[in-house]
Amino acid sequence: MNRSSGPVVWIGIIAATCLLLFLFKKILWLVVPFLLALIIYYFLQPATHRLVLHGLHRKTAAAITGGGFILLLLICAALLFPWISSHAVSWQESMARYIEGGSRLLQKTMDGLEVQFAFLERASLSRNVSEQMAAFTETFAQRYLADFVVTLATWLPALLLAPFLAFFFLRDGRRFTRFVANAVPNAFFERTLYLMHEMDRTARAYFQGLISLTILDTIALAIGLWIIGMSAPVLLGLVCAVLAWVPYVGSILGCLLVVLVAATDFPLDPWMAYGAIIVFILVRMLDDFVFMPLTIGRSLRMHPLLTVLMIFVGGAIAGVAGLMLVLPLLGVAMVVGETVGMIVTDPRLQARHAYARRLRNEQAAADLQA
Amino acid sequence: MFLFSKEEDSPRLKQLRALSLFSTLGPRELKTVDGLLHERSFLKDEVIFDQGEEGQALYIIESGKVLICRQGQPTGGKIAELGEGRLFGELALLDNSPRAAQARAAENCTLAVLFRADFLGLLETHAVIASKISLQLARHIGQRLRETVTSPAWQPE
Repeated sequence: MNRSSGPVVWIGIIAATCLLLFLFKKILWLVVPFLLALIIYYFLQPATHRLVLHGLHRKTAAAITGGGFILLLLICAALLFPWISSHAVSWQESMARYIEGGSRLLQKTMDGLEVQFAFLERASLSRNVSEQMAAFTETFAQRYLADFVVTLATWLPALLLAPFLAFFFLRDGRRFTRFVANAVPNAFFERTLYLMHEMDRTARAYFQGLISLTILDTIALAIGLWIIGMSAPVLLGLVCAVLAWVPYVGSILGCLLVVLVAATDFPLDPWMAYGAIIVFILVRMLDDFVFMPLTIGRSLRMHPLLTVLMIFVGGAIAGVAGLMLVLPLLGVAMVVGETVGMIVTDPRLQARHAYARRLRNEQAAADLQA
Repeated sequence: MFLFSKEEDSPRLKQLRALSLFSTLGPRELKTVDGLLHERSFLKDEVIFDQGEEGQALYIIESGKVLICRQGQPTGGKIAELGEGRLFGELALLDNSPRAAQARAAENCTLAVLFRADFLGLLETHAVIASKISLQLARHIGQRLRETVTSPAWQPE
């Protein structure tokens, strides 16, 4: 199908993406489970496909994979809950140890800066920062724990919805396609079928791109951390790569994690933490300017420049949610926009539709005229 | 004996089996194909597709008649008139080349539509069904070729 769209269509696509981001920000409680359900759906789709290949009916295959996934989640939750409860104390100690290591690194850095620059010493930078850090860590639990628990309680039912949504996507996705296609006038029918097929392809390509991006990030970060001599580089790389699913905020959290581990494992060598920061920044740059345009950008057939620009736009409109949603939304808006553009700007299709409507009106009024 | 009894065709499956493209499929296979088909109704004179349009689907006539003609010449440019059970637009299933002629409803008709991507998916998931359909399709194209070659108007290059 001809994919050359004019500037008006492209402005419409970008405007629609921005508008959707703005709207989605208001109904995040529904959008996030829906997005998670889509990730689960595309994750389970190959398994369902394989079962269908072995002769199972699609509904049975969907019931096996979807039901199996929900069952697995329940089993994991049942097994993890006692384990988490029993290890909570030791984790708390480890966390305290890592936070202490981070504070120590910060203190050393401030002391070093004060030695280098006299005006910092006069401003008592090190003491001020230490006091603020101490106050922050002491009041952190009181300030944010209640909010965290309330947010978790609000989001948990919505998040639990995701596997069930994914199950119904797997089972009834095809029926939904037929249902939508039935509502389309004859003149636009073939184009609409093509549009829905392309939307599915785009979403699948995006989530496959996301998985490729995670693997590339993990490998790059693991190699970098291994070169500077950090412990558990693959695990750290994987955790940071998964955190990076949330652009910027996830990266900051990942960087913080790597620095804390470096500062605690090598308390006498602050250069290890600085080295980890440098590695992290280099990998993030690689990710933003090479890996992401090559994986997600390529999977959505977008220009790398547009990909990077839209990430900034998404962040500006809808914050963290916007950063996460902007690329899949743009991909879908692109397919819909290009196809709708083709239909609206095709005078022949419009004429055929008008003619068919006239025929239907004439048929409906045939006996009335007599 | 329930386990060994032959599965009875529902009216819908009987209707599908009557279509030449699906005549060799078993009841379970027909059910699978039925899940992929879309049904469209066209009024007399309504255009189904235009010559030169990119083809995305194959059409099978469930009821009524369809006229295949040169673009915009339903009377002077008539190529064929197809009745119940016949199929058209089959080349769209093989490639996405432009439609070779225009298709119009010669009378009120109901068509079953098989989308190309669904057929390609069928080739992967249900190779036996897809190969049976492909064989029928090849027979159909062969018949069309024979009709063209044996027609008095045909001149070899």
